[in-house]
Amino acid sequence: MQNQILYVWYLLTAVTILAALLVVLAKNPIHSVLSLVVTFFCLSAHYVLLNAQFLAVVNIIVYAGAIMVLFLFVIMFLNLREYTEETKSNFAKLGAAVVGGVTLVAIIAALKKVQYPMPMRYDVRTGFVETLGEVLFRDYLLPFELVTVLFFVAMVGAVMLGKREKGERHF
Amino acid sequence: MLSIISLSIFGIVNLFLGFLKSRRILLPATLLFLIVALILNSMDWNQQALYFGDMLRVNNVFVNFAGIVLITALLIVGISRHFGNDEEHTHPAEYYAILLFSVTGALMMIGFENLIMLFVGVEVLSVAMYVLTGTDKRNIRSNEAALKYFLMGSFATGLLLFGVAMVYGATGSFKLGGIASYVQMASMYGAVSPLLYVGLLFLFIGMLFKVSAAPFHFWTPDVYEGAPTIFTAFMSTVVKTAGFAAFYKIASTAFAGVYGFWAQSLAVMAVLTLLIGNITAAYQGSFKRMMAYSSISHAGYLLLAVVAKVPSSQSAILFYSLSYSLATVAAFGVLMAVSESRQFEGRGDDRYEAFNGLAKTNPLLAFVLTVSMLSLAGIPLTAGFWGKFFIFSAAVQANLTSLLVIAVLMSCVGIYYYFRVIIAMYLKPAEGEGISVSAGFTLTLVLTTVLTLLLGVFPDVVKNIF
Amino acid sequence: MLPSLLICLALTLASVVVGVYAERKLSGFIQDRMGPTEVGPYGLLQLGADLIKLLQKEDIIPYLADRKLFLIAPGLIFTAVFLGYAVIPLGPDWIGSATSLGVFWLMAIVSLDVIGILMAGWASNNKYSLLGAMRSVAQIVSYEVPLGLVVLCVAMLNQSLDLQEISFGQGIYTPHPVYFFGIKSWGLDVTAAGGFLSWNIFRMPLFFVAFIIYFIASLAECNRAPFDLPEAESELVGGFHTEYSGFRWALVFLSEYAMMLLVSMLGVVLFLGSWNTPLPNIGPVRLADWTSGAPGTILGGITGLAWLLIKSAVLVFVQMWVRWTYPRLRVDQLMYLGWKVLTPAALLLVFLTGIWRLWMV
Repeated sequence: MQNQILYVWYLLTAVTILAALLVVLAKNPIHSVLSLVVTFFCLSAHYVLLNAQFLAVVNIIVYAGAIMVLFLFVIMFLNLREYTEETKSNFAKLGAAVVGGVTLVAIIAALKKVQYPMPMRYDVRTGFVETLGEVLFRDYLLPFELVTVLFFVAMVGAVMLGKREKGERHF
Repeated sequence: MLSIISLSIFGIVNLFLGFLKSRRILLPATLLFLIVALILNSMDWNQQALYFGDMLRVNNVFVNFAGIVLITALLIVGISRHFGNDEEHTHPAEYYAILLFSVTGALMMIGFENLIMLFVGVEVLSVAMYVLTGTDKRNIRSNEAALKYFLMGSFATGLLLFGVAMVYGATGSFKLGGIASYVQMASMYGAVSPLLYVGLLFLFIGMLFKVSAAPFHFWTPDVYEGAPTIFTAFMSTVVKTAGFAAFYKIASTAFAGVYGFWAQSLAVMAVLTLLIGNITAAYQGSFKRMMAYSSISHAGYLLLAVVAKVPSSQSAILFYSLSYSLATVAAFGVLMAVSESRQFEGRGDDRYEAFNGLAKTNPLLAFVLTVSMLSLAGIPLTAGFWGKFFIFSAAVQANLTSLLVIAVLMSCVGIYYYFRVIIAMYLKPAEGEGISVSAGFTLTLVLTTVLTLLLGVFPDVVKNIF
Repeated sequence: MLPSLLICLALTLASVVVGVYAERKLSGFIQDRMGPTEVGPYGLLQLGADLIKLLQKEDIIPYLADRKLFLIAPGLIFTAVFLGYAVIPLGPDWIGSATSLGVFWLMAIVSLDVIGILMAGWASNNKYSLLGAMRSVAQIVSYEVPLGLVVLCVAMLNQSLDLQEISFGQGIYTPHPVYFFGIKSWGLDVTAAGGFLSWNIFRMPLFFVAFIIYFIASLAECNRAPFDLPEAESELVGGFHTEYSGFRWALVFLSEYAMMLLVSMLGVVLFLGSWNTPLPNIGPVRLADWTSGAPGTILGGITGLAWLLIKSAVLVFVQMWVRWTYPRLRVDQLMYLGWKVLTPAALLLVFLTGIWRLWMV
């Protein structure tokens, strides 16, 4: 059983990395977005392996179901079928490569050196809805409530910016 | 704590007030709300409290920073005279509500004791700012600014969050106290997790972006220029004050144990910020753009105090934020009045030329702007002088001599570009006729000037509080 | 796990077979005509004929289509719908995955369907397909909100996201006492009576409204009339599946009927007593005991499955009835209904259910 889970994990991780690479490398933006959806799915599967079912499903609903669909929606409206290579100066490309490379190396180096402490105790219920709810409504009550302010601002702002003004015409 | 709760409720009340036919009630209502919040805030004086399971710490530092933010917001609301009177600003209730919500976000950033709270605060403040930047919907520059700010800002927030995650991975805690004790212990045994360093850097980059320090300042000029002036004023004062409050708090408490690690890189960034901000500001033809670069340069001075990290840094940052906020509000207020009455290429004129001969047509406005420029440049008898003085003395205490030399040199460069507008006002011939401004507007501007001068003459009054 | 997988697969295939025939006969009845009559007795073999025709047809891929996505999309749509069956309790003992997050999982599945539809519509490289896909997505995303809120009401009352737990709560095998209309203070304990009296729709009177909202939203989620704008044949030819033919078209059709059955089953599980019998025990006439086997026995499984299917079939019948009765909505009417009527109503219901849960239970 232990080994089977390990194989599943390897398979999942391989697919995740492949899909994530496709996001960056795909020429067509639609393919990129769809690969991103696959990536999120694989991440959800990882959550399931970690026994965090709630997180897994939330990840699917929010990212794959809502955000990515909106992405697809917008990109399809834009009709980017003919992919045009944007011309960027070599200097910018070099700079981006250097910065990205350095960040990657720094993170990999840090992760390689990290020694993960073994958890004190292993609780099966950690990822369950009940446990999550208790933590959210007891320890993190204040940020939980204040996040509503954040959503409210975003909502009011979106409505305000998107609303048609007097004399303004869309399309 | 009560101020945060009340402000978030007041914001909603403001939205409901928007249903009323008359928009005249909105401005006084918002002022009233802010004053109530200010009173509630001052009631927390001398009370040490941790709220909601170590989420929020209320102490005198919180009260001071929150006071500065609230007073700045009050002054900005005071000069927001045009909401609802013209075609351009059709949703005054929403503007004021979002302003109040963003102040809530700023207070969260000031009082956070848990990195989650920091993140939520940063997001509330930033999202509100993205929206307000784009409120001038028919102006393509405003649209561009909003989009640019949003894209770059969300990237920076992503980095911040990534940093928080890594710090959590290294220390196992979101709480400032927990992180601090881990850092203390680990650096004592020389076993600091490399994850902490990477996380710390990411976290700092996210914060430095929000306060527009070089090399993360590229968004600042365009966004400041594109946003409606009133919101530019808000952005350059409240966001910066809250940002530095949060930044200093996290640097001086949670990561105090690895001071040697971050002080070096921050010092480099401070120098970069000072150089880029001041020298580029000198080349600008637009007053508004100059103010954007000047705000970058002021971030550099404030960074100096963070790098110093001596006990007096805190009060130096407080005093500097206050003096900077007062002067900036005054400067943007006058700019608003001028650019709205003088047109250039089909939109409000924000070049230096717009100020030509203002002293003859509107001596009061010219005087207000002069005092504000003097304060920003750091000339004695204004608040700005003492702000710089306290910061420099903190740097002296920390033996940051080479940094200090650069900072002093750069403030000399600052005098050059701040004086350009004064010269334009007093020595150039007048072009247009006088600008008529409302009583409330004038009163607010005079108030900022009086406060600036008072702080310049009697800095101790406020310094003793901080 | 395996038996329920097989049952579900059989169910989905049977649902399209029975569904298409029933739909044609039903529409014939409603429109006062005969429906299929020629092939076999009562036209029963018409379906086989259709199926053979479909499988024989050429699988046409438009020249300018995005080939890969075009080929994958129907499979993805069907997979998404079929995944939903994994958490539906087919009886007291048969459930694909006894996860504690059944309802939640279903909500995720419903939203996944959208990606397949968008893929199909976009990859066809046809304006009607794209328009259909856009409409479909806008509709599904909008109606997911009231649907989710109503489902939340049920989860709140039952204090669980586990569909099996919700099912057990609605019959004679419930571990909790059930009161008449859910009002404890009346003191009418109907736990032993069971039947429809312990269904969620009876345990909380407001759930009548919730069920109606659920039903309307579920119609929209399946793109069924009167919400069939995405495939409005009079304006969009065939909507997102205009370009599909042969086997792939059959797959799209299959997922539509599978989706109908899925949302009907979910509706039954959430509101109409799941696999529990509708007949209550009345004194010595122990109708409920006679018509349902105890959990753990084979009889229990069979009666459970039978009751679930009968109730779902009734709901599917109502869906068809609605389709042939009401005219299609306009896009703005659709959005108005979703956002300005159903969503506020569902929000109010969530609020009232919270109060009910606190004071009545």
